[in-house]
Amino acid sequence: MAPKREQRHTILVADDSEMNRAILRSMLEESYDIIEAEDGLQAVALLQQMEQEISLVLLDIVMPNMDGFDVLTAMNKYRWIDSIPVIMISAESTHSFIERAYDMGVTDYISRPFDMMVVHRRVINTIMLYAKQRRLAALVSEQIYQKEKINNLMISILSHIVEFRNEESGLHVLHIQTMTEILLKSLARKTDKYALDGETINLISNASTLHDVGKICIPSEILNKPGKFTPEEFAIMKGHSQMGADMMKEVPFQDEPLVKYAYEICRWHHERYDGRGYPDGLVGEEIPISAQVVSLADVYDALTSVRVYKPAHSHEKALSMILNGECGTFQPLLLECLVESSDIIQQEMAVAPVARNDQRAIENAAAELLQIEELSATDRTLHILEQERTIHRFFFSISTDMLFEYTKTPPVLTLSAICARRLDMEEITIDPYSSEHVQELMRSEQMSGLSKLLQNTDPDSPLMEYDCETRIDGELRPVHITFRAMWSSEEPPQYVGTIGIITENLREEEAR
Amino acid sequence: MTIQECYAALEGDYQEVLGRLYSEALVTKFVGKFLADTSFQLLENSMRDKDYEVAFRAAHTLKGVSQNLSFTKLYHSSHQITEALRNKDIELAVRLFDQVAADYGQTRSAIEQYIQ
Repeated sequence: MAPKREQRHTILVADDSEMNRAILRSMLEESYDIIEAEDGLQAVALLQQMEQEISLVLLDIVMPNMDGFDVLTAMNKYRWIDSIPVIMISAESTHSFIERAYDMGVTDYISRPFDMMVVHRRVINTIMLYAKQRRLAALVSEQIYQKEKINNLMISILSHIVEFRNEESGLHVLHIQTMTEILLKSLARKTDKYALDGETINLISNASTLHDVGKICIPSEILNKPGKFTPEEFAIMKGHSQMGADMMKEVPFQDEPLVKYAYEICRWHHERYDGRGYPDGLVGEEIPISAQVVSLADVYDALTSVRVYKPAHSHEKALSMILNGECGTFQPLLLECLVESSDIIQQEMAVAPVARNDQRAIENAAAELLQIEELSATDRTLHILEQERTIHRFFFSISTDMLFEYTKTPPVLTLSAICARRLDMEEITIDPYSSEHVQELMRSEQMSGLSKLLQNTDPDSPLMEYDCETRIDGELRPVHITFRAMWSSEEPPQYVGTIGIITENLREEEAR
Repeated sequence: MTIQECYAALEGDYQEVLGRLYSEALVTKFVGKFLADTSFQLLENSMRDKDYEVAFRAAHTLKGVSQNLSFTKLYHSSHQITEALRNKDIELAVRLFDQVAADYGQTRSAIEQYIQ
């Protein structure tokens, strides 16, 4: 390991006695960077400023302004305590004091007088323990993410198979899934009648993709008949809900909530709130909420999609038809959800389904992690991450600069809105190296020059510049690309991606 | 005067502090620094001003410092006054203060002699 990159941990020593701080400093300064606070107020201020850098706090209890307990209260309030360990160093040896400090989250206690060896050992152990926990948390989150991703992939494949027989694109199923999720989230905010927690919403949304699985039993001459159905044909078509339900009854995982929801959805997603649906003519709340939501989503997507017998209706038209009862009766509360989620539905339906599923995997991984209490350190990290993403998305959407970001795993190229427009590309390109569109952006020798340059960056000199010609607004123009390679902080550092900006070099005649 | 003799004069435990700090240089450095520590002056002033909350914190700090340096005698008297102030037993604290002042004086003069 190169010594210059060896990470030195920073320890905050909060003690009102200059002498005590000096003793601790001289014990630790050889291996650690020490910052000092002479009272609780200073300690909190330093934590606020340097939260990310501080690896450990050595905290005295009896201090002026804010005392050690006040500092611990603040650390709990702002959740710093989740990722920054605290060792108490008070001269206070009263049992109740120590117990209270432990209750407030301190990791360890060093009694006075300070013994150099003990101080060293406890500091090293605590820092190592937390570093190990962070590594484990990263590992678990990666595995949960992978699991979610595979799960979504399997569902996607299955739905495409069903849709393929229907001579549809597979988008329908993904739309139903998205819409079901949006409606359920909205419903959960309005009522707790259905006990819709995050996990349930996730399960029902996943199960919704199976709603038409019964159609694989319908003869394809009927299924894909271009004209109107005869009454006999229509009766056979209607059989798909019962057949789907029968399949779900046959699968061996009857205890799985997913299968239970899939059964409800398959069987009852053509029921209507007033009892005029099929196959069972259930009325009102006799229809499980899973099926109610999916039937509304199904109707919306059918209206807004092209069918052999009709063009696609606009979002507004679809909404007014549903609200006028032209597609059967739905629960009024659910219709409220539909109206209130109108904007988000339009937005989400426009997102490329693959990108959306990847985002879903990230969100689900995040949600799952939040439920594991031992990993609360990651919790705070995720909050920060979430904030970063929001900031990032915002700037990317409004910037008038041509910005780009490339992440290596998964290989995704993201462009700012303006950049996408001028390069005539989508804002998100998955696996850009194999995209023809990306290949056409510049001449191949310049493209390989660019990737060679990228490979030659290293964590100590990540900034690079490159002049070349790029296809902007349909023609090759001279540009200057400034980019920064990103490397992970682990040892050895891994290349994780690149961010950059493309600026046009004005041609001489344009500059004049 | 050697550092051992200094510790003997202020009735502290040199072997103990050396056992914890591992080097004579460090012990010497911090003993020298003790003269700049203001917690005794703060204790004295706040006792005079009857500000017993500040007095408690000052006594507490003095106790912690003398404990870290193994100034055994001063540690004992500052420990006692800290507990008296914590329990708001002002009468006892006032009585104990004279002993703390005497021990502080003894410690200070031993260190001053050592430094010369």
